[in-house]
Amino acid sequence: MTNSNSMTRKLISWLGGATLLVWIAAPTIAAFIFCNNVNESSDDLLQASAEYREPELIKVLNGKHVDQYNNQLPTYKKYWTYREQVINKYGVVLISEPEEGQQPFPDAPLSNGFWGNADYRVYTEEIQDGVYHQLAEPLDGRRTTIAKGALFVFLPTLVLLPFSLAVWWIVIRRSLRPIEVLRQQIGSRDGGNLSPMDLGDFPAELAPIAASVNRLLDRLRAALEAEREFAANSAHELRTPIAGSIAQMQRLVAELPNGSAKMRARGIEQALSSLGRLVEKVLQLAQAESGVGMADHAIDLVRSVRLEIDDLRKKPQYAGRLHLNVDGCTTLMRKVDVDAFGILLRNLIENALIHGLPTVPTTVSVQTDGTIAIANAGPVVPLPDLEGLTKRFSRGATPAAGSGLGLHIANMVIQRIGGSLELASPARGRNDGFEAIIRIPQ
Amino acid sequence: MRILLIEDDDDLRSAVHDHLVAGGHAVDWAEGLSGARGHAAVAGYDVILLDVHLPDGNGIDYLRELIKGLDTTPVIILTARDRISHRIEGLNAGADDYLVKPFDLGELSARIRAVARRQGHFPEPQFSVGTLSIQAAERRLFRDGQEVHLSGREWAVLDCLLRRPGSVVSKGRIEHALYSFNSEFESNTVEVYVSRLRKKIGGDRIATVRGSGYRLVVT
Repeated sequence: MTNSNSMTRKLISWLGGATLLVWIAAPTIAAFIFCNNVNESSDDLLQASAEYREPELIKVLNGKHVDQYNNQLPTYKKYWTYREQVINKYGVVLISEPEEGQQPFPDAPLSNGFWGNADYRVYTEEIQDGVYHQLAEPLDGRRTTIAKGALFVFLPTLVLLPFSLAVWWIVIRRSLRPIEVLRQQIGSRDGGNLSPMDLGDFPAELAPIAASVNRLLDRLRAALEAEREFAANSAHELRTPIAGSIAQMQRLVAELPNGSAKMRARGIEQALSSLGRLVEKVLQLAQAESGVGMADHAIDLVRSVRLEIDDLRKKPQYAGRLHLNVDGCTTLMRKVDVDAFGILLRNLIENALIHGLPTVPTTVSVQTDGTIAIANAGPVVPLPDLEGLTKRFSRGATPAAGSGLGLHIANMVIQRIGGSLELASPARGRNDGFEAIIRIPQ
Repeated sequence: MRILLIEDDDDLRSAVHDHLVAGGHAVDWAEGLSGARGHAAVAGYDVILLDVHLPDGNGIDYLRELIKGLDTTPVIILTARDRISHRIEGLNAGADDYLVKPFDLGELSARIRAVARRQGHFPEPQFSVGTLSIQAAERRLFRDGQEVHLSGREWAVLDCLLRRPGSVVSKGRIEHALYSFNSEFESNTVEVYVSRLRKKIGGDRIATVRGSGYRLVVT
């Protein structure tokens, strides 16, 4: 969602902007119409008032009811907001409001109809030949009315607009949630996780896309599985003749009398064993590069740890050299591929056994937070060497017969699993040794 | 012990066969599952060494077949399938152990002994019977502190008697342990090897129970 090219962000921006415009335009137009209506009505009222007043004024001009006019004005003064005058064509004011202190009457032209300036709206009508009646309405009243009206139009908009935008936000987020889920599900698939997506929750528009992705994942999985099978079959084709050669050489060593021939045969046997280990590592590397690391179902890592340790303990060279500490962690369920985890663990334990002091047991600890640590005694590995140990064919300053691939394979597998590998020397809580700590998140 | 080796690779098969025979075991070999079924139909085995990829089928299927038929013969899988899922599959199918190729022949012997011990064939890796001290894992025998060297066949006879110290072991059972399809076998072979064994561990250590068999005297 932080990406500026986000669909959700665009939708919310565009729809929110459009909504905002509509919500502002609608009351603006309404206010404009209201303003026109108010002006029109006020003009009508002004004209009607003028026409209503004219007979009375004509009587006054004819000398009748002058007193009545003068007495009449104060009686409706409190309702009367207009100003009026009767003026002849020479500019002589014949009748004007009696109240003193008034500002000068607006200087409206003496022609029939409406005229206005910033403060007044004036209606002028000729009531006798060359005599005009002018009725002026101060615009304050109209402005107040229009302002109040506009406020009542805009106020609901101001109140409802944020609410409307919030509803938009929620609706869009909810509507686009399946897209986000699909994005996350596809994003979580990589070389380490090719498990199919659950199609049950996707809406009709997205289900075909998810189904297509699943088909693609199926093909990828099949291709990778074929690659893995090839690696497995290669393992069989390579391991069996090597096993036969080593076994034959061991028999030869057993049957030969002591002497140079026996020594030579033993050398060949060791070389074959080294070749066998190298083949094993190369095949593991191929599996790690082509295989998956994550799985769609959880496995118990503690069981796998026990199985690997049990197998290694049966090897004469490692008998009595492995200590397992599960520390109350009887099970540790994680969604990882069991074979990938097996390769990872075996490489780390074998690395510890090969390079560790044979007189001090190598400890494998499993903790409930998903941390598995393999610690061995031995000389401290300098920091510059430590940082390069996970490189392919990298070997520390050790006389032990390692392939230089074990930690590289382990590092590759842990990345596919989605965990982390930390190498420490000296081992935690000790003054010497080496420790590999793997952390596998939920 | 009498061992059935099911392995199609000639080099590996012959080396394992020779190693086990040198260790005093009687070994029958089958190249595939049909041969294995044929051997199992006419003989009982103490341990079966089983490859998985065989010319005529999958070893795991054969293992399931044995378990389904209530055959309790211990089975050790010898295979190039090194994945942990394969190991889990093999052990879940009923294998007693799982050894990945290439392996050390000494390790194979150790695993056979461990499996046999779990089956009650050997009570302990090291134990004493009277003046005899036996280190079964190393196949070393001491009489009054002096090491006595036994041939493979003599070990096979002693193994039979050691499985049930103090109890009578039938001649047929000892014949069964000595008999190998590819070995010469005479009607008095058991008597010959019992006689040789008596000379090495003491004549009174093995008692003949007429009409029944032989018994290792433990007092």
